[in-house]
Amino acid sequence: MKSHNSSKTNIIWHRRLGLSVFLVLIFLAISGIALNHSPALKLNKTDLSNSWLLSWYGLEKPAINGFKLQDKWLYHNGNNLLFIDNQAVAPCAAPLRSGAKNSQSIFALCADTLVILTEKGELLESFSQLDGLPANVEAVAAVDDGLYLLTDSAVLAFDPNSLALTAIAKTPADLSQSLNLMVPVPESLKQQLEDAGPSISLETLILDLHSGRFFGQYGVLFMDIIGLLVCILSITGLWAWLNRLRQIKQ
Amino acid sequence: MFNRLYRNRLNSLIGKVVFAGLLTTTLLASPQLSAKGVYQSGPDFFAEVFAPQQPEAGVLWLNSSIRQQAEKILGRKVLGLRVRYQYSAGKTAWILNEIGKEMPITIGVVIDQSKIASVKILAYRESRGGEVRYPAYMAQYQGASLTDRYKLDQSIDGITGATLSVWAVNKVAALALYYHSQVITQPESTE
Repeated sequence: MKSHNSSKTNIIWHRRLGLSVFLVLIFLAISGIALNHSPALKLNKTDLSNSWLLSWYGLEKPAINGFKLQDKWLYHNGNNLLFIDNQAVAPCAAPLRSGAKNSQSIFALCADTLVILTEKGELLESFSQLDGLPANVEAVAAVDDGLYLLTDSAVLAFDPNSLALTAIAKTPADLSQSLNLMVPVPESLKQQLEDAGPSISLETLILDLHSGRFFGQYGVLFMDIIGLLVCILSITGLWAWLNRLRQIKQ
Repeated sequence: MFNRLYRNRLNSLIGKVVFAGLLTTTLLASPQLSAKGVYQSGPDFFAEVFAPQQPEAGVLWLNSSIRQQAEKILGRKVLGLRVRYQYSAGKTAWILNEIGKEMPITIGVVIDQSKIASVKILAYRESRGGEVRYPAYMAQYQGASLTDRYKLDQSIDGITGATLSVWAVNKVAALALYYHSQVITQPESTE
């Protein structure tokens, strides 16, 4: 009698738990399968730029600012690409911090990498911290035909052919007049970048929904609870099955 | 009496279930070992591979035929008009980047007498698959040269869970051998 009641309670709870979690479980199964086949389904290549979604992730369409280098505009699309006058010319990690041009080349300081381009905008090479670019470079300046990298306290003469750096007896303040200032790019160029800007890949969205991170800490906690409930569900299911076996034997 | 027994049993069951649940959650939530990191800078890599000699700097300009072949080896567009390397007595060292899954892997390759002398991961930025940097794996590349079809002439054992990183290292190793062959056949050009 006691065993029968216990078994009945167990089955009732098993049903309740099953009914509570089945929708979430189906979602988790489908999203898990999708994530497992993300490359084949091209989830990581599918970008979502819905404004509600972007604001949920705290992303905003960036203000497009750039540098006027003589007759050319050098700017960044906010999405890891460097542009010169409407043409994407090179990968460039945000933010674009400084730009300069001498008679032969164009230089763009992107995050921690100096991108070196020909006058026509072809990528010559990227000079990163791993290649020996000092970590604290804040700006690049072209004075006459000399090129200088400015850190917070020092000025380094830079040879773009050999990538050699030489400390010189000048302070960043001495060259501040020669720095190109960042200004908003003209509307006509900005219009061409309407499709650019931040986006969320479908893979990220599904992964965040799958893990609960999409809803912040409470979402993660919720998924943790679902995980626990699934464990309980398995145990109550196993128990119910064992009880039934026992009853059949009796 | 019956109720007390039943309650005790239920409490015991709940206790066990909660313990099992917590254990499962803890196991599932344990942070995965991160493979990310910068292991060596370019200048340090060059200094190490040529020590005690002082290498010279060279530049390989990617003309259309070199670029075309490089793109075939990598299976993608090659960015940049020039590639830098260091050399000394028939030995060249290259630092090249290739995307593993999503992030570039920075790989140093040393070629001596048209064979790979060593391969080293200088920076790995993906969160998984960093096993490719282990010396036991890298040792497989030693002595490999380029076939007529611009592939490595040695088979390289893969690593489960790091397939894309392995492919990236294979491609970069082949590319460095190809660049080396271009530097050897065409005297190094400097600006």
